[in-house]
Amino acid sequence: MRSPVFFVVALVVGAVVFAASRYVENEYFFFAGYVVLQFIVLATAWNILGGYCGYVNFGSAAFFALGAYATVTIHKLYPMPIPVLMLVGGVVSGIVGFATGYLTLRLRGAFFAIATLALAVVLQTLIINWDFVGGARGAYVIRPNSFPLLGSYIQYLFGMMLLLTVISVAGARAIERSRLGYGFATIRDDELAAEASGVPTLRLKLIATTISGALMGMAGAPFPYYIGYVEPGTAFGLAYAVNSIAMPMIGGTTSWIGPVIGAILLGTVQQVATVTISSAVNLLIVGILLVDFVIIAPNGIVGLVRDRRIGSTTVEPTVFVLLYVLNLLPTIFLAKQGQAAQSIGLVFWAILFFVTYARGRMIGRVWLMVFPWIGAGLSLVPVTSETPVVSTVVLWSQGVAWLAIDPPTAVLIVSLVIQVIGMIYGAALERRTPAMTTP
Amino acid sequence: MTSPLLDVEDLSKRFGGFVAVDGVSLSVKPGERLGLIGPNGSGKSTLVNCICGTLHHESGSVRFEGRALDGLPAHQRTRLGIARSFQLPRPFTSMSVMENVRIPLLYTVNARPGPKQSARAIEERCAELIQLVGLAGKARKWPRDLTQVEMRKLELARAMAAEPKLLIADEAMAGLSHSEIDDILALLMRLNERGITIILIEHIMRAVMSFSQRVVVLVSAKKIADAPPERIIQDPEVVRAYLGQ
Amino acid sequence: MNFPVELFINSMIAGLLLGGFYAAVTSGISISFGILDIVNIAHPAFIILGSYIAYILNTRFGFDPVLVSIVMLPVFYWLGAAVYQVYYLSFEQRGQEALRGLAFFFGLLFVTEVGLILVFGVDYRYVQAPYIGPSIRLAGFDLPLRMLVPFLLSLLLFAVLQLILTRSFIGRAIMAVSQDPLALRLMAADPIRIKRAAFGLSIATAALAGALLIVIQPVEPSVGREYIGRVFAICVLGGLGSLPGTLIAAMLLGVVESLTSTFYGPSWAPAVAFGLLLLTLAFRPSGILGR
Repeated sequence: MRSPVFFVVALVVGAVVFAASRYVENEYFFFAGYVVLQFIVLATAWNILGGYCGYVNFGSAAFFALGAYATVTIHKLYPMPIPVLMLVGGVVSGIVGFATGYLTLRLRGAFFAIATLALAVVLQTLIINWDFVGGARGAYVIRPNSFPLLGSYIQYLFGMMLLLTVISVAGARAIERSRLGYGFATIRDDELAAEASGVPTLRLKLIATTISGALMGMAGAPFPYYIGYVEPGTAFGLAYAVNSIAMPMIGGTTSWIGPVIGAILLGTVQQVATVTISSAVNLLIVGILLVDFVIIAPNGIVGLVRDRRIGSTTVEPTVFVLLYVLNLLPTIFLAKQGQAAQSIGLVFWAILFFVTYARGRMIGRVWLMVFPWIGAGLSLVPVTSETPVVSTVVLWSQGVAWLAIDPPTAVLIVSLVIQVIGMIYGAALERRTPAMTTP
Repeated sequence: MTSPLLDVEDLSKRFGGFVAVDGVSLSVKPGERLGLIGPNGSGKSTLVNCICGTLHHESGSVRFEGRALDGLPAHQRTRLGIARSFQLPRPFTSMSVMENVRIPLLYTVNARPGPKQSARAIEERCAELIQLVGLAGKARKWPRDLTQVEMRKLELARAMAAEPKLLIADEAMAGLSHSEIDDILALLMRLNERGITIILIEHIMRAVMSFSQRVVVLVSAKKIADAPPERIIQDPEVVRAYLGQ
Repeated sequence: MNFPVELFINSMIAGLLLGGFYAAVTSGISISFGILDIVNIAHPAFIILGSYIAYILNTRFGFDPVLVSIVMLPVFYWLGAAVYQVYYLSFEQRGQEALRGLAFFFGLLFVTEVGLILVFGVDYRYVQAPYIGPSIRLAGFDLPLRMLVPFLLSLLLFAVLQLILTRSFIGRAIMAVSQDPLALRLMAADPIRIKRAAFGLSIATAALAGALLIVIQPVEPSVGREYIGRVFAICVLGGLGSLPGTLIAAMLLGVVESLTSTFYGPSWAPAVAFGLLLLTLAFRPSGILGR
């Protein structure tokens, strides 16, 4: 599909989504939907630099916050409509993106990544010390109650973010298929060869940082009106930095659809999960999924669907142990957060099945998968006195454990013990069985 | 006598305390086939990198068609007409053979002043180049599916796509069999007949001697000889420092 | 104009002591990033992990935090070796370290921080030790032992590392691996094994640095992030892979930060390191003692 056509189609889809959403009575839908859309923009923006050019930006939160604080500043001086604010936020973040790139992109790639980490802290310090925008205390931005024609103001914000999403996704897709996109891909593949083929790598990298930064700023601009009260801690929040990396990585970085899939998936899960589990566990889940995906499925969900192939080295003993331990963590915390949250834990049990299966297949002991089954079963069984087996186990583990613990924790510990035994046993089998060659 | 196409004058490059190229002068006439030989670590690749703009030299100058190149980034030199192939093939791994060849057409040919080529013309030119190097039928393949010799051919096709006046082939034949070497040599010869000046950097003496009209020898960062091949093999200094090993 | 000389000198001394500690924190990065070229942004997370281990054993059993960290050195060494093994198999071997390797370390940093928050909460934790509290007076200036002990231990750590890297076989092999892995292979030494040992060594320093950190200041899980900028700023400023350069740069940063917080207020201190890092990258990327 040609890019202008795609843009029109995307616009129509956006309009349909917006029109349909008008029938949703629940205001919460708009609040949650806004966040998901905002993450689609952030992930797409990150991917233009990270996925297309291969340069990691850890400072998404900084660019986002710049947009937000540009709005706060303008709000204090002379309030202006949202589209203007978005443009201003985009310009400010775009300039900062350009400057950061200009200072560091002539050096090795790692320096750019480190500089973006640094940028977030510098900007946060500046904002904290800048009293005009509220400093460390934060600033209130009163959201109007209603917007002409649309009714509630949150619907208006939702609509604006939807429009920005359509523009950025269509834009990313257009870039991907253009001369510029090909140039970006050569930078990702081999910068030396790119230069030798006449690609002005520095200029293209600067274009990418500028576009990427500007889009992040635009995503941040309406944020103060959405949240009503901005303080440095929220605007520079960890969630933005980790999500904008994890979403494209999980969705797939080489095409425009990857970040969209990743953002919709992770964004929705997080919006649903915040109701049942704490935000810290939420972030833990995102972080672990990020590690899982970069190791198991380097090309994300898109890559899994396209190649039907999974990274082949994931079953080495050390990798196996690390993935196992990491993926046990959320099941522990989710179980602690109560029954409702345990369903999300199933995702991690599934990953554990997969990891054990891959390991087992390599050493010819596929039945190793039985250990995660036991663990999953134990952590899902509701602990009641009607199930004698479980309560016996509980009593036993309470006696053994040197902590004073409640029954769910005891079950958890038992399941963990079984897990760990299985894992160690699985890893030890490697020594006794001569490694079979992978097909 | 025609003015030189490439004129390197007293070029020096050092890495910290190590002098990689020491006051080398070199001039290449349009349409010439020049061989550049020397033992490992004698500075051949560094010299090429300085000519192509991958590295920046400290002293001396590089002139191309009478124009000073000093300080120009690599991509602009490519646009002026200097193309190279790399010692170890460096294809763009996420692109097909066709797309690999398309990049220089998009970024070099279409970046030069004058009318831009249409997408269709570019497509046809790509197919033509792939045909020329003998990769027809592999256009939709990925670089990872190619053999060593096919990879070298892709490297040359990509260099050719930039429509260069000067092509620098950096060890395009290392590790290839006899017939494969003849294959590449014939290809380079064909390119030369089309008026492209070629600098061939090579260890395989048979290839260099049969191909080159003139041979330059670098030993420990210095140029020690610059003569036609039949004189080079008799030069006592060259024999002692390089050939006689 | 009345220049507060005494305040200035006090601040200088505090800065030097702080700088010595920063050097210990950076030594690990100096090995992994400077020598091995592995951009381990998760290093501060390991340091915080070291702090919390010192905290647990100190509050539960009353062990001395520094002693705990010395006992933990081998554990951290093996942890580091394991992380390198995963990194090598999953990224370095596949040539994906630039994008996915970085994301991997970012993920580790993140998971460690959030994991610690989940277990310990965001309260500040501190340790008890005889040298926390008292200070000695020297030539009219107060030297708090809380700062002096970490300072001296850092210098000791530095001396030991320098000895290992320049005198021992494995140390020389580590220095060689960064320059010429092929030559090393010809000497029948496996570069992967040597890099694994080096990375293990770099993480082992985090155990000590973590204990020193919790001696100097109360720790909460997100403190680590403040150190990312500091350690990389010091590492780059000192010149990649140069331990003496790292020491000088650490002292420099310590003094500048201390002066900044004395004369402009502590809220500006975090920006100093990052500002310095950006300036270094822009104007002298090879560092003060760069090769």
